[in-house]
Amino acid sequence: MTKQFALGIFEDEDVLLHAVENVRAAGVKIYDVFSPYPVHGIDDALGIERSRLPIAAFFFGLTGLSFALWMQIYMLGFDWPMIIGGKPHIALPAFIPVAFELTVFFTCHGMALTFFTITGLYPRFKTHVMDVRATDDKFVMAIELDETGSQFSRLTQLLRDNGASEVNQKEMSKN
Amino acid sequence: MQHVSALREPLVTGGKTLHDVTQDICYQVEAKPNLRWMAALSVALFFLGVFFYSVYRTVWYGIGEWGLNKTVNWAWDITNFVWWVGIGHAGTLISAVLLLFRQKWRSSINRAAEAMTIFAVICAAMFPVLHMGRPWLAFYVFPLQNTLGSLWANFNSPLLWDVFAISTYFTVSLVFWYIGLIPDFASIRDRAKGPIARFSYSMLSFGWKGSAKAWSRYETVSLILAGVSTPLVLSVHTIVSMDFATSVVPGWHTTIFPPYFVAGAIFSGFAMVLTLMLITRVVFRLEDYITLEHIALMNKIMMVTGSIVGVAYITEFFIAWYSQVEFEQYAFINRATGPYWWAYASMMTCNVITPQLVWLRRVRYSIPLTFILSIIVNIGMWFERFVIIVTSLHRDYLPSSWAMFSPSIIDIGLYVGTLGLFFTLFLLFAKFFPVINMAEVKTILKYTVDNGPTYNPAKAVHHAPAHPAAPGVPASAPVTYTKHD
Amino acid sequence: MATLTHQDSATAEQLVITGGARKTFITIIVAGVVVLILGILAQVMGWGAEEHAAAGEATGHLGASAGHGAGASLHEEGSSTLVKRIIVSLWHSNVFFLGVSTIGTVFMAINYVAYAGWSVMVKRISEALSAWIIPGAVIMLVVFLLGRHDIFHWTHEGIMDKGNPNYDAIIAGKSGFLNLPFYLIRTIVYLAIWAFFSYKLRQLSLAEDQLGGTVWFHKSINASALFLVLYAVTSSMSAWDWVMSVDTHWFSTMFGWYVFASWWVSGISAIALTAIFLKQAGYLKALTSNHLHDLGKLMFGFSIFWTYVWFAQFMLIWYANLPEEAVYYNQRLGGFEGHYTGIFFFNLVINFVFPFLGLMTRDAKRQMIMMKIVCIAILIGHWSDFYLMFMPATLKGESGFLIEIGIAAIFLGAFLILFTRRLASASLVPVNHPFLDESIHHTT
Repeated sequence: MTKQFALGIFEDEDVLLHAVENVRAAGVKIYDVFSPYPVHGIDDALGIERSRLPIAAFFFGLTGLSFALWMQIYMLGFDWPMIIGGKPHIALPAFIPVAFELTVFFTCHGMALTFFTITGLYPRFKTHVMDVRATDDKFVMAIELDETGSQFSRLTQLLRDNGASEVNQKEMSKN
Repeated sequence: MQHVSALREPLVTGGKTLHDVTQDICYQVEAKPNLRWMAALSVALFFLGVFFYSVYRTVWYGIGEWGLNKTVNWAWDITNFVWWVGIGHAGTLISAVLLLFRQKWRSSINRAAEAMTIFAVICAAMFPVLHMGRPWLAFYVFPLQNTLGSLWANFNSPLLWDVFAISTYFTVSLVFWYIGLIPDFASIRDRAKGPIARFSYSMLSFGWKGSAKAWSRYETVSLILAGVSTPLVLSVHTIVSMDFATSVVPGWHTTIFPPYFVAGAIFSGFAMVLTLMLITRVVFRLEDYITLEHIALMNKIMMVTGSIVGVAYITEFFIAWYSQVEFEQYAFINRATGPYWWAYASMMTCNVITPQLVWLRRVRYSIPLTFILSIIVNIGMWFERFVIIVTSLHRDYLPSSWAMFSPSIIDIGLYVGTLGLFFTLFLLFAKFFPVINMAEVKTILKYTVDNGPTYNPAKAVHHAPAHPAAPGVPASAPVTYTKHD
Repeated sequence: MATLTHQDSATAEQLVITGGARKTFITIIVAGVVVLILGILAQVMGWGAEEHAAAGEATGHLGASAGHGAGASLHEEGSSTLVKRIIVSLWHSNVFFLGVSTIGTVFMAINYVAYAGWSVMVKRISEALSAWIIPGAVIMLVVFLLGRHDIFHWTHEGIMDKGNPNYDAIIAGKSGFLNLPFYLIRTIVYLAIWAFFSYKLRQLSLAEDQLGGTVWFHKSINASALFLVLYAVTSSMSAWDWVMSVDTHWFSTMFGWYVFASWWVSGISAIALTAIFLKQAGYLKALTSNHLHDLGKLMFGFSIFWTYVWFAQFMLIWYANLPEEAVYYNQRLGGFEGHYTGIFFFNLVINFVFPFLGLMTRDAKRQMIMMKIVCIAILIGHWSDFYLMFMPATLKGESGFLIEIGIAAIFLGAFLILFTRRLASASLVPVNHPFLDESIHHTT
């Protein structure tokens, strides 16, 4: 299914931030903003909630730590105990390095996979973008239009008043 | 709006705009390979050939091809391993530690430094794997049940810790590096002309579009990865140092080893980053992004870590005397005055004395001197590992077993061969991947760009908002926005 | 109630020490004296004497096994346990407070050479923290000259003379380093360097307030770089002298950095704690939760760093298990009838587990109450870390807590009086610092 979008093109991050505030204040719902780099403060301006990824990271780490400790204690402490270097079977100080490494391993890879999944990042044959300049030097504010696209002229005025250098209409499949 | 003191040096010169950044950095990827690059690649490929030949000899005829003997049974292999792993540390330091410390100048060098990390770790991994003699059985190091019984890997062994440390470090660095590359691949994809390029970079960029939510998560992920990579980078060389320090060999068993190895690793890593960046900035014309200021800052870090290493050398020496343990005392006297005195002297000169030249402003802002210095430090850090490993071993407990070590041609071949492998990988990276993190440089551009040497006023007219009025003074944005703190 | 809201600009703020605050400091000192007297009474009256006897026996065993002749040394020196405890506590608290005080200058110097902008808001606090260096130095010299026999085994009569019944070959071998004149010269040199640079940086900072301009900034950077080079050497050496030589036979190359890690994280906590108290009293208007967040990150990170150094030292000694090194942990992990076992694990919990879990989330680092709790815990934790470094070698199984805590409280009260006096002697905001604007608008 395709949708109509109004695209406001901005040249400067501070102008964009100001525009985001004003557009939202005018009661217009912003579909998304595309930028070549992370714009400081845009989360608050768009009302994006703080990511809960750190919580996920904590639990991935906890999983790694528990797994590593279980693995070492089970293998060397219970399954096949041996005396090595006169140390006890469960020689905890010697298990710390591997426990630490696996904690980091699980945290990092768990986080990365979660990030790719929830953000919908995976290798694609073709990528459809709103405006190719959004990965170069332009900041693109996308606003969803209804079937008729009737609000376009009003939005154009609003975006222009807030510093957009150009306003385009584009049909995109929404995914 | 960011607030930047007028006292700060600009990080990007030449009055660059956002578009210029994309243009300058994508240019190398899009253009045909130039002659200098081809020439460099041929040299690297020649040494890669040397590497393959040496590997063939080692695997076919066995470890006897190396110069090891019964007393010195660890020598160049482990020296090279530690040396390469150490070099690998600077990349993660730049991408993680400097990110946490908000050192914005890191943006221009982190991509290449991280790539260097990955390639250096690959080179490092060659040595322990080859030392196994039968590398096709390398999977035995993982905790898989032995087929002949239910014996498991020995988790008390520091060498096993190494397996976990190096593989974690390698994969984490790779993921961290790749996540950083995604937005830049998207930039190249959106500029690509040919269908093959568009297809490959679309695959590589994972469908990145730069939406605000994706960026927000991207930043969170970067910060967390930086947070876990920081102790990781410390742990890796700590564990490498424990290969030696958990033993009771005089000269190896000393508690300062973990942090001192980490400092040494960062030291040698920065030396290698400097060597590579000084070449890259000239070959790819990146003088506006990797400025003299960057070089001076890297020099300073090199000097600081070099001095930490120097303090550790002196501490070791002093405590060996203070301990009143005669074995310790002998080990250190023998290092400095025994048959390997020349290795010790090289190490001291290269690692402790020469980096102090960085205190002179003239030296740290000079490109040729910095280049020479970085090579000297690389040599010195190789000698450090050689001194620690070989001089501690060559005087066995039984004087009748005392021996010297001389490398075989295969030892040398493997070492130069890994240099070939490293440079082959780095050159391929430099050609097909963006060598500078465009998205990050763009983040800091607005307030840190300056009309430096390559500034072109005619071009700047079209991009009026993005360049500042005077050097070092932040450009004032049309709108002052201060709410979002 | 103070709020963590945003400010656009900062003006000079003058701290006024209220009568209430002064009264609190005096109360801390008085409370310390009361606890100290209670502790002395407890020692003299022999409350809990049974434990002491048992511990004394253990001393004999361990001393013998360590090859120290340490058990014998208890009897050979004249001082009673009571006097010993007081003298060792004075040394212990003084080394802790002096180290933390110096960290003020070290923190500032590192921020100068790193061109850090965010920390300008707490710069005056770190300057004032160093007010204790000179009184601390005086106490250190006095305690050393009067009470060294109760702290340092190597100062005993005849220990380095061959043929003397006290002769100890290992200690005699160290005489080139551990001898009275050289030791005193070294101590005076360290203290003089620290005192001089803290004075110098403070003067430059005050001159900047008065006169403005960037010349002071550049001068401070040069002074800081020189100071850091000297501090890198003196901090390690002072740790060998003041702390490691208490366990005269024992040695560890890591020790200097271990002591520094302890001082450093305590110093940052002290700065953060002061910043919160000042904020809650209505000062430092431009200080926001972003600054606290960064201080919290440093506390979090360096608590982990301390643990790293602790673990590396412990693990290597545990793994190699050489008698001359392992005795250090034997004494602490079960020696003297387990006298120190509890505090050994308490040390790890309060200095690692607690700050790690407490400061892990972003919100915790931005809340004043959580930060305050963790700051106080870290300060107590590292004081007890030093307790663990000093007591087993000096008092064997005879250390306690009342006298030690009483003396620490007296130090704390006196420290706070001098610290706040210096805080009040200049504006709390360095108004002409070139990075002030960056610090005011600092966001994380």
